[in-house]
Amino acid sequence: MKPAVSSPAASVPARDYGQRGALIDPASLMRIRSLELRAKVVVEGFWTGLHRSPYHGFSVEFTEYRQYSPGDDPRYLDWRLYARSDRYYIKKFEDETNLRCHLLVDNSRSMSYGSLAYTKGQYANTLAATLAYFLFLQGDATGLLTFDEGLRDFLPARHRKGHLRQLMLALEKPAGGTSTDLDTPLRHAAEIVTKRGLLILISDLLAPVASLERNLISLTARGHQVQLLQILDPAELRFDFKKATVFEDLETSRDLYVDPALIRKDYLDQVGVHNQSIRSLCQRLGVQHDCFSTERPLELALFDFLRAQLRRSGGVKRSGTRPTRGPG
Amino acid sequence: MSFLAPLFLVGAAAIALPILFHLIRRTTRERMPFSSLMFLRPSPPRVTRRSRLENILLLLLRCLVLCLLAVGFARPFLQRPMPAPPDAEAGRRIVVLVDTSASMQRGGLWDEARAKAQQRLRAGGANDSFAVFTFDRQPHALLSFEEWTTLPVGDRVAVAGQRLATAHPGSGSTHLGRALLAAAELLQDRNQTDTENRPGGGEIVVISDFQDGSRLEGLQGFDWPRGVEVVFDPVKARRKTNAGLQVLPDLDETARPQSEARPRLRVSNAAESEREQFRIGWVAGNSSSFLGPPLDVYVPPGQSRVFEAPAPPAGMPAERLALTGDDEPFDNVAFVAPPRRERTRVLFLGDDSGGDHTHSLYYLRRAFLETRFQEVQILQRSNHVALTSSDLDPVHLFVCVDSLPADRVRMLKDRLSAGGIGLFALSSAAAAPTVAALVGVDSIAVTEATPAGYALLGQIDFSHPMFAAFADPRFSDFTKIHFWRHRRLETNQIPGARVLARFDSGDPALLQIPVGRGTLFVLTAGWIPADSQLALSSKFVPWLYSLLEMAGGFRVRVTQHVVGDELDTGTGSTNTATRLRKPDGALETLSPDRPRSPLLDIPGIYALESQQSTQRFAVNLDPAESLTTPLPAENLERLGLPTRPTITSQDKKSEEKLRHLQATELESRQKLWRWLLAAALAALLVETWVAGRAVRTIVDGVPAGRSGST
Repeated sequence: MKPAVSSPAASVPARDYGQRGALIDPASLMRIRSLELRAKVVVEGFWTGLHRSPYHGFSVEFTEYRQYSPGDDPRYLDWRLYARSDRYYIKKFEDETNLRCHLLVDNSRSMSYGSLAYTKGQYANTLAATLAYFLFLQGDATGLLTFDEGLRDFLPARHRKGHLRQLMLALEKPAGGTSTDLDTPLRHAAEIVTKRGLLILISDLLAPVASLERNLISLTARGHQVQLLQILDPAELRFDFKKATVFEDLETSRDLYVDPALIRKDYLDQVGVHNQSIRSLCQRLGVQHDCFSTERPLELALFDFLRAQLRRSGGVKRSGTRPTRGPG
Repeated sequence: MSFLAPLFLVGAAAIALPILFHLIRRTTRERMPFSSLMFLRPSPPRVTRRSRLENILLLLLRCLVLCLLAVGFARPFLQRPMPAPPDAEAGRRIVVLVDTSASMQRGGLWDEARAKAQQRLRAGGANDSFAVFTFDRQPHALLSFEEWTTLPVGDRVAVAGQRLATAHPGSGSTHLGRALLAAAELLQDRNQTDTENRPGGGEIVVISDFQDGSRLEGLQGFDWPRGVEVVFDPVKARRKTNAGLQVLPDLDETARPQSEARPRLRVSNAAESEREQFRIGWVAGNSSSFLGPPLDVYVPPGQSRVFEAPAPPAGMPAERLALTGDDEPFDNVAFVAPPRRERTRVLFLGDDSGGDHTHSLYYLRRAFLETRFQEVQILQRSNHVALTSSDLDPVHLFVCVDSLPADRVRMLKDRLSAGGIGLFALSSAAAAPTVAALVGVDSIAVTEATPAGYALLGQIDFSHPMFAAFADPRFSDFTKIHFWRHRRLETNQIPGARVLARFDSGDPALLQIPVGRGTLFVLTAGWIPADSQLALSSKFVPWLYSLLEMAGGFRVRVTQHVVGDELDTGTGSTNTATRLRKPDGALETLSPDRPRSPLLDIPGIYALESQQSTQRFAVNLDPAESLTTPLPAENLERLGLPTRPTITSQDKKSEEKLRHLQATELESRQKLWRWLLAAALAALLVETWVAGRAVRTIVDGVPAGRSGST
C-alpha cells in the first residue's frame, strides 16, 4: 500500500483513508493478468441491487393511463377503455428494468503512459471492467464504446450471457490511436446510443475543453446521464521529474527539451487551470466529474460511482448543479 | 619568446567558446515518453555552475588546440642574438660599383650616387675592406683592395671620396652584368689568395639608376661564389620624361643624289615619360637652335617611332641632329656622318688591252661594281710605257700576270718593301724570273703542269682573311672551279712563303709571300678561261674583294658606332700609319704595331686619316641608354643573384625595419610554428579519440550527463 500522496491526493475525502487498510493496492491488482478476474476481485463483497429505472418504457407491466393528446402513438390507445368511456387514453407501463449503462473508454496513446508499474490505460480498463462487472451482477445492461481519435469498438448495452466476456475482450485490446480526440467519439456515441441511460466517460481528458463542452451539452440534451471519470498518472499531477530530458509526446512523437526544475510551476498551473475548467464545465452541465490518480484503489472509485448513483436516484435530472469530486 | 605577428594571439581568446559550450547544459540524449506536451514549453539551455563542468579533459584539449593554433599563427621565435654578420671582427670585403653610364648624367643622379657611395664607405666597419669601381661598358677601378689596405686607416674613406669626386658619368652604355661578374671574380680571387684570415665571400654594392637598358648578359647561369651577396642601392631620377634619338644605319648601296639621302631616325620615349611630343632638327655645334624647320614628332610613352630626318640645311655640315621637348638632354643629340664614296685604285701591269675575253684584264674590270660607297678604278700600264712612282702611290693593289721589265720589277719590289700588296697570277712558266726578282730570290723553279682532265682546289686555308668569307660550309665548295692547267712552283726556294691553297695534286695554288713590309700573293694559275673556270665562278668577285680589303683599298663599312666600341682598323692591312681625329680635336696615331685598338669614348664625328683618304664616321650613344625606365626588380631576381635587401638610412625607421628583418630571418630559421601545428594536430587526434569514447559511452547507455560531443 502506498502512502498518501501529497498535493493531488490532498483533495481525497478523509473518510476514504479510513478504508484504505482494507483496500487492494492497484499495483498488486494489476499483476493479475485477466481483466475479468481483476474486476471480480474488486467487486467482490459488493452486492448488486436493483435500480429503479429512470426510463418509463413500454414494458409489460401497466402502471397508469394518460389522456391521449395529439401526437401520441395511436398503437398504445386503450380501445376497451374508449369503448367504455368514449375517451382516448394511452396505456403507460412501469418497466422495472435494469440500468442501461454505456462505458466510453479512451484508448488513445496518451493513456499508455504510466509512471507506475502500469499505465493509465490499464487502470482505466480495469476500472471499466470493474464497473461493467458490478453492473452485470446488478443485472444492468452494460455497453462499451472504446475510442482514440475515432471510434474503435462498440458493444451495445445488453445483459445476456457472454456479453460480459465480449466486453472484457474488447477492453483488453491494446491502445492503438495516435491522439485524444473527444469530439468525434462523443459525437458518434450520441448518435449510436439512442436510448437514454448512463454514459460513463473514462479518459485522461487531455484534450481541449471546448470540444468536450460541446459534446457534453449534446449528450445531456438527449437525456443521458453522464459521468466523467478522469484518470491521471501521479507524474502528470505532480510533475516531479528531476533531470532535464527530451520529453516525447506519445501521441504526436514530438520532441521537446524540458528542464523540469524550470517549468514545474508553470506546468502545474496549466494543469490546474485545465482541470478547473473541466470541473467548472461539469458543474455547469450537471455532470458528475471524478478525477482519479492511478495510484488510487479501485474500490474507492467504485464507491464514488455508487455514491453518485445514489445521489441521482431521485430521477433523471437534465440540468442543475451537482457536486464534483477532485482527483483522489 | 617573441612573436612575428603578435596580433594573432588575440585568436587565443577563442578558448572562451569551448569553455562556454562545456558550461552550457547540452541537450541530453535521454528521452522521456510523456502523455502529452500540451502543458509543457521548451526550456532554454542552462548554464551550469563552474563546479559542474564536466569532461574537463576534453575541454582542456580543445583549449590547447586553439591556443597552439593561435600561437602558431603568431609566428613565434626564440630571441637570440643574430649570428654576427660573418665575422664582424675580421671585417668583410665590399666592392662598391658606381654606375657612370650616360644615363647617370640625368639631373641629380650622379650626386646622389656619389653620396650613397660615400655613405657606404663611412658605414663600413674598421676592419672592412673596400674596393671602389665605376662602371659603364667596362668596370674601372677607382680604389683597389690593395690600395685600401695600404692607406692609413683614417685616410681611406677620404681618399675614396676624392677618387669618386674626380669621376663623372660618361657616355658609355650600362653593362651591369659585366661589372657584377668582374666584381664577383675579384672577390673570389681575393678570397683564394687571402692571407688575412678574413671570412669568405663578400659584398657587392651596386649604386646605379638600374635603367631598363642595362645589359645583364653573362649573369644567367653564373655560379656565384659562396658567401658573396649583392646589394642593390638604386638612385631615382626626379624628372621622368626622357626621349632618345638614334640614327638608323644607312645600308642602301644604290647610288642616289646626296640631297635626297636623309638619315632615318628612331625616337624612343621612356615608359614613364609624362610628355609625348618632341621636335627634331639639325643643329650646329653646341647650339640648341635648329637650322631650318624642325620636325614635330609624336611618340607615346613606352614606344618608339621611326622618322626620316628633316631636310639638311643648305651649305651647312649636316652632322648633328638634336631632339627637344624632354627633361634630360644627355641622349638628345645624334651624329650623322654622310656616306662618302671611296675611290680605290687597282693597277694592272701588262700589255693586255682589256677588250679581249681571253685575257685577264677583261674579267678584272668587270669584277668591281660601282656602288654608293665605293668606286674601284682599274688602271692599266703596258710594258712599253714607262712607270713612274706617281703611278704607284695612290694604288692599293697591283696585279700582273706575265713577266715584267727589270726596271718595273725593281719599282714594284720597292713598293712591296714599303708595305704594298700585289697579286701575281702566273700565266706561264716564263714569268718565273719576274716572281723570283719580286720576292728577292735568285730563281724559282716553275714548270708547266697539265693535269689529266682538270685540277681542283683541294686544300684551302679558310682561316686566312682572303678565304675567311668562304669559311661557312654554305660557301666553302670550290669543287666547281676546274683548272685545266697550272704551274708547279717549288715553295722551298721561297723564304716565308705560306701556301693558302693547294690543288688536289698537292701543288700550291695560292701563296702568300712576304716582301719587306708588303705581301705578294702568287696564284699559280690564271683566271682566264684557257687556264681555269675561276673568273666565271661565283667565288671570283668575293675573293677579289677580300684581296682588296686586305690591301686597305676596301673597308667593310661599319655603319654604326656606339661609345665604347673599339675601332676596327682591319686585319693585316694597315701597312701605312693612319691617324684618328677625335671629336674633341685630339689626334691619335694608329700603327700596325699598336697593341690595342683605339677606344671611341665620346660621341661625335671621328675622322680616320690616312695617306690615301680620310674616312669620317659618327659615334653615338648606345640607344639602350635612352631606356631610362627603372629595371623591374624581378628581372634581377630571375637571374639568381644572391641579393640582400637594401638598408639605406640609419634612422629609427630603418633600425626598426632591420629588427623586423632579423626577426623574420630568425623565425624562418627556427620555424617553431611547424612544431606548434604538429602539436595542435596531435592534440586534435587525442581530442577526437576522447570525444569518440564519450559518445560510445552514451550510445552504450551508460549515463554520461552533459557531454560536449565532437
